[in-house]
Amino acid sequence: MALLEAHHIHKRFGDQVVLENITLAFEENRLNGIMGPNGAGKTTCFNVLTGRYKPDRGRIVFDGEDIGGLPPHKIARKGIARSFQLMNLFDQYTAIENITLALPEVRARGMSMMHDLSTDGETGDKAAGILARIGLAGKERVEARDLSYGERRALEIGVALAAAPRILFLDEPTAGLGAEATGSIAELIAEIRRDLTIVIIEHDMQFLFGLADKITVIHWGQVIAEGTPASLQEDEWVKRSSLGGLA
Amino acid sequence: MSDARNPVGRWITLPILASFAVFGTLPYWVEAVGLYQYLGLEIMVWVIFALGYNLLLGYGGLPSFGHGAFIGIGAYAFGVAQFHFIPNLWICLLAAIIITGLCGLAAALLVSRRRGIYFALMTIAIGQVFFFIASKWTSVTGGEDGLLNIQRLPVDFGLFSIDIQDTASLYYLAFALYAVVVVLLWRLVHSPFGRILGAIRQNEERVRFLGYNVFIYKAIAFILSTMVAGLAGGLFAMAQEGAYIQIMNLQWSGTVVLMTLIGGGLVSFWGPVFGVVLYFIARDILGAYTEAWLLWFGLMFMLLVMFKPEGLAGIWRDTVGGLVRRKPAAAPSPHPNQSPAE
Amino acid sequence: MSTATWLLPHLINGVALGLLFALIALGFMLIIGVMEVINLAHGSIFALGAYVALAIMAPDGGLPFAFMEPFYALPAWPRYAIALVVAPILVGAACMLLELCLRPTYGKDPLYGLLLTFGAALVIEEMIRVVWGSSEYYLPIPRDISGGFIFADLIYSTYRIYAAIFACAMIALLWFFLNRTPYGAVIKAGAHDNEMVRALGFNLSRLRLLVFAFGAGLAAIAGIIMAPIWGVRPVVGIDAVIPAFVIIVLGGVGSFWGAVTAGVLVGLAVALTAAFVPDWSMISMYLLLLAVVTFRPRGIAGRASILER
Repeated sequence: MALLEAHHIHKRFGDQVVLENITLAFEENRLNGIMGPNGAGKTTCFNVLTGRYKPDRGRIVFDGEDIGGLPPHKIARKGIARSFQLMNLFDQYTAIENITLALPEVRARGMSMMHDLSTDGETGDKAAGILARIGLAGKERVEARDLSYGERRALEIGVALAAAPRILFLDEPTAGLGAEATGSIAELIAEIRRDLTIVIIEHDMQFLFGLADKITVIHWGQVIAEGTPASLQEDEWVKRSSLGGLA
Repeated sequence: MSDARNPVGRWITLPILASFAVFGTLPYWVEAVGLYQYLGLEIMVWVIFALGYNLLLGYGGLPSFGHGAFIGIGAYAFGVAQFHFIPNLWICLLAAIIITGLCGLAAALLVSRRRGIYFALMTIAIGQVFFFIASKWTSVTGGEDGLLNIQRLPVDFGLFSIDIQDTASLYYLAFALYAVVVVLLWRLVHSPFGRILGAIRQNEERVRFLGYNVFIYKAIAFILSTMVAGLAGGLFAMAQEGAYIQIMNLQWSGTVVLMTLIGGGLVSFWGPVFGVVLYFIARDILGAYTEAWLLWFGLMFMLLVMFKPEGLAGIWRDTVGGLVRRKPAAAPSPHPNQSPAE
Repeated sequence: MSTATWLLPHLINGVALGLLFALIALGFMLIIGVMEVINLAHGSIFALGAYVALAIMAPDGGLPFAFMEPFYALPAWPRYAIALVVAPILVGAACMLLELCLRPTYGKDPLYGLLLTFGAALVIEEMIRVVWGSSEYYLPIPRDISGGFIFADLIYSTYRIYAAIFACAMIALLWFFLNRTPYGAVIKAGAHDNEMVRALGFNLSRLRLLVFAFGAGLAAIAGIIMAPIWGVRPVVGIDAVIPAFVIIVLGGVGSFWGAVTAGVLVGLAVALTAAFVPDWSMISMYLLLLAVVTFRPRGIAGRASILER
């Protein structure tokens, strides 16, 4: 059984159907790509899987447990982490504090009112380790808003990583980045994928075809194609759509 | 940030000591500078109230516009406990804190799923509901007349007790409680709880996706701030020797927002302290010249919101602090979500 | 006499009150729509309208000007009619100043607009106190619309019926203005998307100035109509701005008929509580607000809005 499975998900807003009978499965320790044109329902799909929206119909099973309709914080605690398409950092906190607050051990004692995180060597070391891993060593004390755009994108991934997730959803991690920065994000993802299940929404086809084990194409709220990058390049649907040309 | 090698630094910092020095000596010099003892007492009560309020506004980013209700409830609870229960200072203060906290709990359950303007709206409504209940429940609150003849109870330590009938003595009780509140709040805002609350202000959604139950954090922050308001209310009842309905109206709820902001509660832990001091001194000094001192104070407030939303603390930071400390590399435009970390 | 008929005058009072509330709320909503500002000063502007009308009608209104003497000699009707037109225009023009003050807050957290207008409310209220003092005034109204009449053994207030009709007419005019004139189209475009205003070739700053003045003028008109019912006091503003809030939340931000429906609902709720438990009449509104915001935050016809940010 796959680590996370979504069966026959429907989601509508008012009279607009955004997701129609979506069925997805993400195998453990694989890197899954989701692509499709703007407005196809990719981000809505993420939002349903991570609990931001409740699905109108359908089942979401994570590691054998039905998580459909749980609130986001409960889903997050089960080991599902995500980044956001738009920047979602704590701008006035330092890089290291952004990471620290995402650590599960900090979450466990979030209600502590007398404890002090900045004097806690253990969490500090762990957070510094994650910062080093995403290439932000030396930026610990810099406020998130003073980081460069590329550094912020990396920090987004770091925050998601810090939660020690079992599955990681990344929503357009390279949006707005130049070729060089995109390359370093690709390196970062290649490094972290070894022991992690990852799902990426991405516009950059080269990026996705180079990394993914499996790619799902979503259009009009439906899955229209699915397979390995190689098989997908042969797919009629993909060839006929503009997606094939890009790949 | 506190110093890792110095456990005392986690609890007491230089600004805290400085505030102790100023407020601790106040009764000795307040008359020399042309002011009077009762003003010091009023300032102390409102400083406690506003510091607790800023936990919500400055740290949680939750603009409660109904907080006047809670200082009022604290005052009534103190009086009722004194008249109908036991006239013991500690028990009455505890009653004020607990009863206000319970009312805060009821309110928190209603508002903690909201933020921004909706939060402000709901707190206005809740404040008004408490106001109307207090004004109509005459048998308990005395209605429009208020609850009269509340005693300044002696500070009872078992073996001995200290009489606080005169204003300066009551001031020292308020000061002692201020010291406790300020140390605890300072610790609180630097604890994981406080930092998560600050994260909620900056990006509530993100905090939720990190696995935190945002509702609980907001609710607890709300309840804690009402409990501090309850304590301030108990002191206020003794200061005024009565509890009155006026304090609970929307005007006063707005005034505590105004004080907290004008002092710079959005960017500094000490903002509420500056704001309260400025408000009361302005009231007395401007008030001596003109009946319409609130007009000038309101204009000053408008100018501040327009040009310097970080308030007095922001001005201090940019002038005095800027000479000492590195200024942020790229100062973004003022935003209410700035961290009151200093 | 059955309960239903005994209640009739109360119901009429409720509808009159509700329509006036709706009028305040609609101006309030225009300002939210175009400027994304929650105008806490709306109540003080409402009060200011009544005071300015008082001053125009003088001589009991506190501000008699010598050059106006011939005007004061006129009978009540023309003086009242002129005050009803001129006072809102003056108030609207004065409130343009407030809009200028609001400009630094645009594009920032809506909390800033809220705070600035809270300060403005304080300033306007204090200015009223400085000019007119704290005592209560009554706006002199023409005899034809004052007093009461008896119909089927029940006493009705003539003025309430006049107020209800007047508010109805104003709401209808406003609807016509917003939906059937090019100016209305621009305002609605502004409420939808500021870019659209520029695309239509209008100056956004000027639109904001005018819409703010217009919303303020509506509040002033409501203030003048409400004056004989509530009396003219500096603190009357809070009693006006809170119902506007409630109505916006209840009706849903951006919905014209939602606001009118909610206005009448709130008016009826207040009037009916007043009929049975007079002391508690105002609290019914707050309970209504809490219930609605708890269970249906977007109101009857609401969409996602600035209020949720």
